[in-house]
Amino acid sequence: MSDSKANGTNMVGLEEIRAGLKKATEMVKQAPGLMKSTVGYMDMVTTYVERIATAHDEGKWVASHGTQQPLEILEAMDVRGLFNEFWGVVLNLTNIDSVPEALSVSASTSTPTEVCSFFRNMDGLMHAGKWPRSDFFLYATSCCDNVKAFHTLGRRYGVPSFGLERSYFPYTTHAMEHWKNEYKRLIAWLEEKTGKKLDYDRLKETVRLSHRLTELHLEIDKLVAHVPCPMSPECYSGPLLAIRLLPGTQKGVDYLTDLRDELQDRVNKGIGAIKDERFRVMWSSFTPFFDPTLFNRMQEKYGAVNVCDMLSHWRGDPHWMLDPDDPLGNVAYRTVLAPGNCQYSNGVDVATNLSDKARRFKVDGAIFNNNFGCKTGAGYGPIIKDELLRQVNVPTLTLDCDVIDHTFISKAEVESQMDSFFEMVETSKAYKERRAEINKTASL
Amino acid sequence: MNAPLKALDEMIRLTSPFPESVTVKDWKATGRKVIGWYNPYIPEEIIHAGGMLPFEVTGNNEPVQMQGAEAHMYSNSCSKIRTCWQLQLDGKFNFLDGYVSSHMCDQDMRLFEVWSYYKKLPYMDAIYAPRKRDEEAVKLYATDLEDFRSRLSQCLICRIPDQHIANSIKVYNRGRELMKQLYELRKRDRPPVTGVEALEVSKAAARLPREQFNELMEQLLDEIQRTGREIKKAMRLMIIGSDLHNTNQIANLETLDVVVVADEMDIGIRRASGQVDTKLPPMEALARHYVLGRPVDKHNWNSDGRLEFIGKLAEQYKVDGIISEIVRFCTYNGWDKFDLKKQMEKRGIPILELDLEYGHPAGAQVKIRAEAFMEMLETRAS
Repeated sequence: MSDSKANGTNMVGLEEIRAGLKKATEMVKQAPGLMKSTVGYMDMVTTYVERIATAHDEGKWVASHGTQQPLEILEAMDVRGLFNEFWGVVLNLTNIDSVPEALSVSASTSTPTEVCSFFRNMDGLMHAGKWPRSDFFLYATSCCDNVKAFHTLGRRYGVPSFGLERSYFPYTTHAMEHWKNEYKRLIAWLEEKTGKKLDYDRLKETVRLSHRLTELHLEIDKLVAHVPCPMSPECYSGPLLAIRLLPGTQKGVDYLTDLRDELQDRVNKGIGAIKDERFRVMWSSFTPFFDPTLFNRMQEKYGAVNVCDMLSHWRGDPHWMLDPDDPLGNVAYRTVLAPGNCQYSNGVDVATNLSDKARRFKVDGAIFNNNFGCKTGAGYGPIIKDELLRQVNVPTLTLDCDVIDHTFISKAEVESQMDSFFEMVETSKAYKERRAEINKTASL
Repeated sequence: MNAPLKALDEMIRLTSPFPESVTVKDWKATGRKVIGWYNPYIPEEIIHAGGMLPFEVTGNNEPVQMQGAEAHMYSNSCSKIRTCWQLQLDGKFNFLDGYVSSHMCDQDMRLFEVWSYYKKLPYMDAIYAPRKRDEEAVKLYATDLEDFRSRLSQCLICRIPDQHIANSIKVYNRGRELMKQLYELRKRDRPPVTGVEALEVSKAAARLPREQFNELMEQLLDEIQRTGREIKKAMRLMIIGSDLHNTNQIANLETLDVVVVADEMDIGIRRASGQVDTKLPPMEALARHYVLGRPVDKHNWNSDGRLEFIGKLAEQYKVDGIISEIVRFCTYNGWDKFDLKKQMEKRGIPILELDLEYGHPAGAQVKIRAEAFMEMLETRAS
């Protein structure tokens, strides 16, 4: 029995997550038929959690943070990031009932149930004393207004917080200068809090490693676009997590290098995620966190493989290393372009990027999570749906769900909607034409 | 029973029917442009300086069925943006020549982009609304304002000069000053206007040419002074939270023995707060006013000042209780709820929290809760 169960709660803390990951890694090692990189993936997630768990013992700091963060700077300053959204995901890997309970605790503090569940989960866990000890909260302007919660929760629990302000139109000279200047202010703030000066040579090195990660991600993207798709669901989240959790680290680079090599090998040998790939799917987030088994069921029942998603891409030209001697400027540009940050933009811009992606990945259908607490998705979801249809003739299934709370929508409901969706896709003219084209290319 | 205020009646007549009022029709008949604006980080002064009518895009006193809008923005987005979009789909804002919004909250921008995508107007623009309140934020906002002025000038095919902006600042400063005077009068033990009347005044400010509004405000204040008007109610309330434009929501409360004497809404007291510094270059002065010169609002990350402001207002206006109404899916107000309640508890100010759909009148359920709240306040008072 886990400590949480013994305490009469499903909410899991850091120690239970560590134990859960250890157990899951052992299971993965024994499981037949998985990609080799699955072990590497579990190892990467475990490393991330261990870095947080051991930070204070090693004389380092922990910063819970949201999107748009310059993690390379944190890495160079011995501050270990804890991405609050990812914590909701890792909880689901450990105990799927932890999130609903944390959300219920959050509601009891009068936080409205309509705000984002990633943040309500954090709220509930903090209230219950289950959130990892954090020295700072760091956040930034993004499409998500919930980042205000970092200040609110910081005030409530005595955690100092710092917000980075970013203009809505990021590419003008003054906007980039302002964004870079915000990093300088963050560095000064962290130096004051930690009593430690930033070593710019170390920053250059973390920026170099981060850039290598970008290059690997782009290589992987090209490999995953192959027909049949070589990426299996158990590894699908790997590239985005490496980019979002461990930029500026050798660990991230090592993991993506191994994954890239395995994917290349699978492409060379014509190995796909499944034998008979019938549908190629673009999911809105990189995994339906509320149901970690859904990708597998989708493959087994419909022959549908998730080949790409609506988060894991670079906005525009991803070559962000403009001047090797200006690490801050490079990082400022990287965070504007980075996967997962690109929704801080208008819906047509997002949809155009996605249409391009749908073309490159030969997508047959898209599945959009209308995440109940996400106002961004509620606002641009219809534009994405309309543009995918208009630009690349790809239909979209909109699933009303909560991305981390499995109690919001039942498996039966999801499956029933998918049944109709794939039936509709299969009979469509666009699908038949796309398949004919794929078969023609394969026979050449 | 007090006689109706003639100046207010005139404001209501001039802003009716909503939104394409007699004023809007008269304005358009002279060939001039009307620019819709959405949230309080759009300086009306710049639009005014271009010889155009700034018109706040909102709902009004009638609830709107939003099924059409929900084809373009899902029902888990804020009902204010869905209401405005539905009104646009229904052709109610067809008189607008342009629309400008700011990234004050993401939902405001989603309305902007849905509008741009499905029903683009000849001029559409957006600026950023800083979350911080410091010199760097002023600089960032000032640059965005300059870009806004340039694009609006482009639309007019005529540069909007500093001198015009300086003149508009004076006109709007006068409006703020007059509205402030009305707020001051509401501090009286027997305020001269009801909450409904005060809200109608605020709405008119954003729907009439500001010179005309100022004239009517002067008449209104004069009328109040001449008639010695007093509202005799037992309890004093303050409304805080999301913007209200349906006065029936307040009217329903005021059917009880209660008068709303203050508010903490963008449409209310913030519209009456501060003065743009006329000694500074006009664009810089506007940037400083809009970022630093008004009370902290819900979108500022550090909302400590907002909670402090609410507490002080409650004391200055001697309110018996606060009604916090939040339009569902409002992220900013949602995250302030916990600390707001704690801080008001510390100050001994009771608070009633209501979650509402924007524009819908307070129904029977809300009224029952309000009645229970009043009973509690009466018990406390006795």
